[in-house]
Amino acid sequence: MIEKTSVLAQPGRRAALPIMVLLALGFVAPLLAVVGFSFMPARTFGLWHEPTLENYETIFSDNTYVSLFWSLGLASATVVLLALICYPVAYGLVRVFGRWSTVLTLLFTIPLVVSENIRLYGWVLFFIKGGVLPGTLRTLFGVEMGDFLFTPAAVLFGMVYVYLPFMLFPMTLGIAMVPNQMREAARDLGATRWQVFREVELPLSTPGLMIGSLLTFVLAVGAIAEAKVLGGQRIIPITHDIEIAFTYAQNWPLGAALAVLLMLVVSVLVLIVLRRFDLDQILGKR
Amino acid sequence: MFDSKLSRRDFLKTSASAAATLAATQVGPFAGAAHAARDKELNILCWEGYNSAQVLDPFRSSKSATVKAESLTNDPTMINRLRAGEINVWDLINVNNPWARKIMLPEKLIKPLDRAKFEPYFAKMMPQFKPPYKWAMDDSGKDLLGMAQRFGPYSFVVNTDKISRKTAEDQGWDLFNDPKLAGRFGILESDDWNVFGICCIAGFDPYQPHTPEQVAKFEETAKRILKNKKVVGDIATMNQAMISGEIDCHLTGGTYSASPARADGHLNLRGVTPNKGPLAGGKGGIAWIEITSVVNNPHGSPLAEQFLEYVQAPEVAHTVAFAEGTFNPVAQMGNPECFKLFTKDQLEAIQWDSLEEEMARSVEYDIVPDYDKLLDIWNAAKKS
Amino acid sequence: MTGTSEPILRLKNVRKAFGNLAAVDDINLSIGEGEFFTIVGPSGSGKTTLIRMLAGMERPTSGDILLRDKRINDTPANERPTCMVFQSLALFPHRTVGQNIEFALKIRNVDPATRAKRARELMQQLHLPADYYSKNVTLCSGGERQRVALARALAFDPQILFFDEPLSAIDYKLRKTLEKELKDIHRETGKTFVYITHSLEEAMVMSDRIGVMRRGKLIQVGSPNEIYSTPRSRFVSEFMGDVNVIPVESNGAGSVRSQTLGASFKVPPAAIESKAQCLVVRPEFLRFLNSPSDAQNSLKGVLYNEYALGSRIQYQVRVGEKVFLVEKLRQQPFKGKLDDEVLIGWDPENSILVADE
Repeated sequence: MIEKTSVLAQPGRRAALPIMVLLALGFVAPLLAVVGFSFMPARTFGLWHEPTLENYETIFSDNTYVSLFWSLGLASATVVLLALICYPVAYGLVRVFGRWSTVLTLLFTIPLVVSENIRLYGWVLFFIKGGVLPGTLRTLFGVEMGDFLFTPAAVLFGMVYVYLPFMLFPMTLGIAMVPNQMREAARDLGATRWQVFREVELPLSTPGLMIGSLLTFVLAVGAIAEAKVLGGQRIIPITHDIEIAFTYAQNWPLGAALAVLLMLVVSVLVLIVLRRFDLDQILGKR
Repeated sequence: MFDSKLSRRDFLKTSASAAATLAATQVGPFAGAAHAARDKELNILCWEGYNSAQVLDPFRSSKSATVKAESLTNDPTMINRLRAGEINVWDLINVNNPWARKIMLPEKLIKPLDRAKFEPYFAKMMPQFKPPYKWAMDDSGKDLLGMAQRFGPYSFVVNTDKISRKTAEDQGWDLFNDPKLAGRFGILESDDWNVFGICCIAGFDPYQPHTPEQVAKFEETAKRILKNKKVVGDIATMNQAMISGEIDCHLTGGTYSASPARADGHLNLRGVTPNKGPLAGGKGGIAWIEITSVVNNPHGSPLAEQFLEYVQAPEVAHTVAFAEGTFNPVAQMGNPECFKLFTKDQLEAIQWDSLEEEMARSVEYDIVPDYDKLLDIWNAAKKS
Repeated sequence: MTGTSEPILRLKNVRKAFGNLAAVDDINLSIGEGEFFTIVGPSGSGKTTLIRMLAGMERPTSGDILLRDKRINDTPANERPTCMVFQSLALFPHRTVGQNIEFALKIRNVDPATRAKRARELMQQLHLPADYYSKNVTLCSGGERQRVALARALAFDPQILFFDEPLSAIDYKLRKTLEKELKDIHRETGKTFVYITHSLEEAMVMSDRIGVMRRGKLIQVGSPNEIYSTPRSRFVSEFMGDVNVIPVESNGAGSVRSQTLGASFKVPPAAIESKAQCLVVRPEFLRFLNSPSDAQNSLKGVLYNEYALGSRIQYQVRVGEKVFLVEKLRQQPFKGKLDDEVLIGWDPENSILVADE
């Protein structure tokens, strides 16, 4: 305490050193490399060229905004739909279904062990012409199903499906965190069931909703397989753009610039939301 | 983003260390191997098939060697990885025909083979591979640069229940210009091949330098075709969509992509080579031939050449033709010992009945002079 | 107080069973208008279940709950003119002090100005600073939160207030203050308060009447003084605090005999009942004697230890295996030394005979 020798004088810092090095190598270094690449001339493969802003100019002069728009739009729509779908389900899991909650939770969790792509191809077989759904509709009811597969709606469906657990579980936790006495107190003070929900349960479970929304938004902005598999590339999200740049186009610097742009946009959006909704304040921890 | 006081020199220094880190990450699994003796290991960069256990396991056990193979579905990516420093990693590279003589040898990414040892194998191949085979030789015709094996015509695929083979062959690429086909065709996602296809639909040869008018025409065609398409996807998606009836045909395809479905009994899916088209000599189709070359690796493995010999054996060549993934004709079918290993169903899957005439109607895969420009247009068009 | 007012709440054979277990078993009770009634009992005695039925959060398995002679068994909590202050207080953490107090009024669509006026009145009445109105409730201290919870319950002017051990988690000194404040509020508002606690001491301070619960049954109801001076069972007497209990049997008129002590004690003749099995003597009624003739009942023991209890000092005296507690005022301590032989005794009129249950 008396002598300040080095930053490593504290045992805690010394103990944290290995993980800090690992994080620096495994997380920070690749990120720095991506940032570095974004300032390299187009279609080069090293970091030793003279830095340039041409990749960013390219992004802003061509139609990249279209894919960014799709990514952000689909992610937002996914979050909104998931919030609407998951809240009742989460509410049921916590308050209504009782013993069946465990079974339902398991049913929601088990698909996670199967690769996302395989599940999406499963949905292709479900929706494809003559597939499970259109085939059944035609055979049993003589109804021809309109085009759904390979449309933006199918992409949205896939995203809602894939990211459902990531909204559901934080939400379930959020609702479970509302103390029972809080609801009873509101009811005792004269609130109807609906008023209890609106005045107490909903506001008090917002942290779960917020965490779920942030999680699903960040994940959904990075979605790519849904648009490829269910959307038949009818739309190209920004992540697919990045992939194209890194693979087919062999334009690593452009891909890196797109990745940096996406990171910036998402970070800014997340920061705005976090600033707007202070989680600590909602949770009353201040 | 950067402090203005940061000098360019500082920046380069930082970048260099970052590059070193990145390089270390990329070649991580092989990092220790570079200086070790490499006579018991082999690294292959290839299209899918050569990385299958059926092909590699017998070789592994006979040489008691560690063989690693990474499969990519894209020639430029593989070549760029050699350019980016992985020349120290790989021993063999398996790409389409033009790259060896036009790009990789001039850039010293590969090295020539022992001509006396390997040329005799060409003599046993199908007639069109008779030595000296153009794509296996350097420009001077002196050095042998690689071995041929899988090949195939690759233009587009139709469901013959919906569009007859004759109609498709007669109409050729114009099929896709027909407004009636809007919403009924797919595009097999395949970078350079998509560019070839769009050029052909636009009515000009992809392998010649293009005028600004042609580039404009390319952009218009790309946008129109993408607007009219039903789905873009991989081979599985295309075959699934064809079988289910979501689409009637798909752009970019041939025996390589249709063979898995045909092997599964869906003989109504058929790769089609147009009778005529805008390609050299009025030809309508494009064909590919894989050339496998030895990478100019300073620590190259002696197993590389042994592997090239290994896959020439009739049984192994047959295995390569029907390795996991896609099924393809192999040059070694010119050898009766090899040909007799193919069953009737297998010959049907690879469209053996029309292979010769389709190859005759096709030009060979080549490098597009303004590829980057056309690819950028194509990728931008995908988004709009 | 019992007879002076009309009953506001009556319970007839109220029973609540969870599976085979009767948490509340055949309770008959009537609580008067304006009364401060406390139900006291150890945890698991069923007092919380009982008050939850009264508030409308549980439904009785059988029996009737009558509010001003109207059966309210099936009236949900939000439609009853009653309100509960919870053990956890259950203040809404996402609301300010003002919003918490106004909650019931907002639910009833009272206009904001009236609401605010009422909230400020209550805050003043409950000694909450006026600037707390817009303070986040989670930033309030323990005592302030108690007051906010009480103000919130009072806001819509309920006819009965229920309290579910609201002071149990509060430190001693503050609890003492709040107990008195609560009694003052009771007086100011004139409302019926039904309070449950496991502390009889707390019940004594505030209540007009006390009901003692044990294993789902009300075993004695009476004024604090009745409960204190004439407990009906060993359980009630022991629940009142430290007492000396001697198992005895009747020994003819005005006398009982203890087998363990091998001694007989005089008791008031009227006190002997057939089922009387325990002799109870409060520590403050035991005294140290100079000679056995100083009291009608006496025992010889050894002074084992002493404990200072604020205004009193408690002495532990051992008679054989049996432990007796003797209390004296702090100003008049006993002069003996530890391990001294001492004589202790009491007068027959200070004997209580109760059933051994």
